[in-house]
Amino acid sequence: MTDTTYNTTNETPSAADSDVMIHVEGLEMAFGDLKVLDGITTDIRKGEVLVILGPSGCGKSTFLRCLNLLEVPTGGQIYLDDVELTNPATDINKQRQKMMMVFQHFNLFPHKTILENVTIGPIKLLKEKEQDALERGMELLRRVGLEDKAKAYPSQLSGGQKQRVAICRALAMNPEVILFDEPTSALDPEMVGEVLDVMKELAHSGITMICVTHEMGFAKEVASRVIFLDNGVIAEDGTPKEVFENPKNGRLKDFLSKIL
Amino acid sequence: MKREGRKLAPAQRILAMLVVMTTLLAMVLTGCAKKEPAPASFVKTVDDLGKAKIGVQLGTTGDIFASDVEGATVQQFQKGADAIQALKQEKLDCVIIDEQPAKAFVRQNASLSILDEAFAVEEYAIVVAKGNTELTTKINKAIAQLKKDGTLENITKNYIGDSTKGNFPYESPAGTDRSNGTLVMATNAAFEPYEYIQDGKVTGIDVDMAQAICDILGMELKIEDIDFDAIIPAVQSGKADIGVAGMTVTEDRLKSIDFSDSYTTATQVIVVRNGKNDESFNLIDKFKHNFIEENRWQYLTKGLATTVIISFFAVLIGIVLGFLIAIGRSTCDMTGRCKLLNWILKAYLTVIRGTPVVIQLLIIYYVIFASVNVNKTVVAIVAFGLNSAAYIAEIVRSGIMSIDVGQFEAGRSIGFNYTQTMWYFILPQAFKNILPALGNEFIVLLKETSISGYIGIRDLTRGGDLIRSRTYEAFLPLIAVALIYLVIVMGLSALVSRLERKLKTDGR
Repeated sequence: MTDTTYNTTNETPSAADSDVMIHVEGLEMAFGDLKVLDGITTDIRKGEVLVILGPSGCGKSTFLRCLNLLEVPTGGQIYLDDVELTNPATDINKQRQKMMMVFQHFNLFPHKTILENVTIGPIKLLKEKEQDALERGMELLRRVGLEDKAKAYPSQLSGGQKQRVAICRALAMNPEVILFDEPTSALDPEMVGEVLDVMKELAHSGITMICVTHEMGFAKEVASRVIFLDNGVIAEDGTPKEVFENPKNGRLKDFLSKIL
Repeated sequence: MKREGRKLAPAQRILAMLVVMTTLLAMVLTGCAKKEPAPASFVKTVDDLGKAKIGVQLGTTGDIFASDVEGATVQQFQKGADAIQALKQEKLDCVIIDEQPAKAFVRQNASLSILDEAFAVEEYAIVVAKGNTELTTKINKAIAQLKKDGTLENITKNYIGDSTKGNFPYESPAGTDRSNGTLVMATNAAFEPYEYIQDGKVTGIDVDMAQAICDILGMELKIEDIDFDAIIPAVQSGKADIGVAGMTVTEDRLKSIDFSDSYTTATQVIVVRNGKNDESFNLIDKFKHNFIEENRWQYLTKGLATTVIISFFAVLIGIVLGFLIAIGRSTCDMTGRCKLLNWILKAYLTVIRGTPVVIQLLIIYYVIFASVNVNKTVVAIVAFGLNSAAYIAEIVRSGIMSIDVGQFEAGRSIGFNYTQTMWYFILPQAFKNILPALGNEFIVLLKETSISGYIGIRDLTRGGDLIRSRTYEAFLPLIAVALIYLVIVMGLSALVSRLERKLKTDGR
């Protein structure tokens, strides 16, 4: 694929409102005096592959971590399927089960085998029968080419393999949306491809994805929508084609000129 | 390379063991080879005491007298036998002690003599809690009766006097009524012939007399063998009803407790080295003397069982409580909530870690459980458990903090709640990280239980002490006790490293 091949198959942001899965309203996040997010309002639709771009320190990761309340926002609301996550009365554990996260540093459980890493969520939280969960876990591992590692421990795997397992762990919970927090940033260059391939395959399967990434190729090819965050606000929001070819925001132009 | 290294480990351990054994054996041999008699003490009369190093038993009248001697250095020992041992090893110039025990010591140690000059005459009486006039009156009546019918004289004859010894054993009258409850007697069984241990049982003049008093009062006698200086606190706190341990009536003591009428008179004497040699035994005789005669090895085996029981249950309490405290504190730190709980837990850790465990043990026994009649082993388990919990809590907390925050986030992001995340992901990893430190804490705890003797528990260390107080021999009982501790600790270390290897998940 070349840099100019844009994804046009997925839905555009102008799709019907009934498809809205996540609604973010005036989201604010401050660490002490430092305001990282300063009023973000946006809708994320079912099946969307949203890529969030932005210079370092712009609040991309914080935004993502606010969505599943790993960081508790200091202002604004987040709704998932019309349930307000920011309401303290909401059972956040139940809601998180629909919204998995893949971390930059994988965060696999080192004391559990690969298969246990993938199946512990379904077995303990979804109360799946162990046999069913193990079978599905193996199938997921097969999908990412790691079935022979099922009995190994995370420390015996390469970075790329770990991240593929982490994706399996997320998929095993049958989530509605997966949040990717710079999933390839901690990988050696030769391992980035294998993880991106899995993510591309996922994107085409129709699952909703929100990715913070620096992989512009991935953004152009797979994203249905790109958001550029700057100084805690959305500075630009559009299809990859719009964002990459006709950037209106000065900071975005500057940003793109540096990384492309 | 790695495989070889690991295979070598047991061999190295055996080698280390051998080195230790050889060293000990060498020490035994040099210990026995020392035949040169210790020089005689320079103390020949009471007037010489002014320049002397005097040994006494803590809290005895000898202690009080010696402290009044101007210019003398007084060293207090928990037991008379310890003072005698120090005298033999030239650490002291003389020991001031009651006449009868002194005679027993001199009988068994040819290198010791009693100076002819008597130091002081005094009267022995039974200690009763202040204000318990009802019991004091009853005991006084009983003593008067025993004096009148000659029982007391016979009891004394049975222990003192070469021609009468063993000929007048006291026996309770057949069919004695014991419906009036139990009389708990605190004593310190290292004071022959008044109270000492023979065949594992406390016996002596005081014991027989107390039994005779109980027979008159229609009560069951129960004996608590504790440190001498702990007898009065035990009676004060109600742990014991009476104290009978060759105790002299003094002004100071009368301030805190009451005394019965006197039941015998005794003299304080001065024991010195005479420059002669002790009867020499070879190692086998010594071994027989220390461990085989009177089945003395049983002090060690029974003591070991007690030590193991106390350590085991204390560790259980320590682990459970320690984990709870650590989780509580980590949660408070992480969420910034429940400040009061965090403060209380911190205070607990500060107090427990800031005070010696022996003080905690004594406080729990004499203050907290003062009025409750509770098994002493249970007291020790609680004390050591609470103590260990504080240390384990900090070990566990360091383990929890050593786990990358990403692990916590991973667990929570999947939808596990706080407790589940702790249980499934954080604690198992923390446990693995802290295993060496935990193993260390268990070893420390096991060895710390050696202070159980302070509240009169016959643990392994006290078992060795009991042998020492009978055989006046420091070397073999102490080495035997040390070896037993060493073997248990080595076993414990081996177990911990096996567990460590088992929990390894890096596949190397």
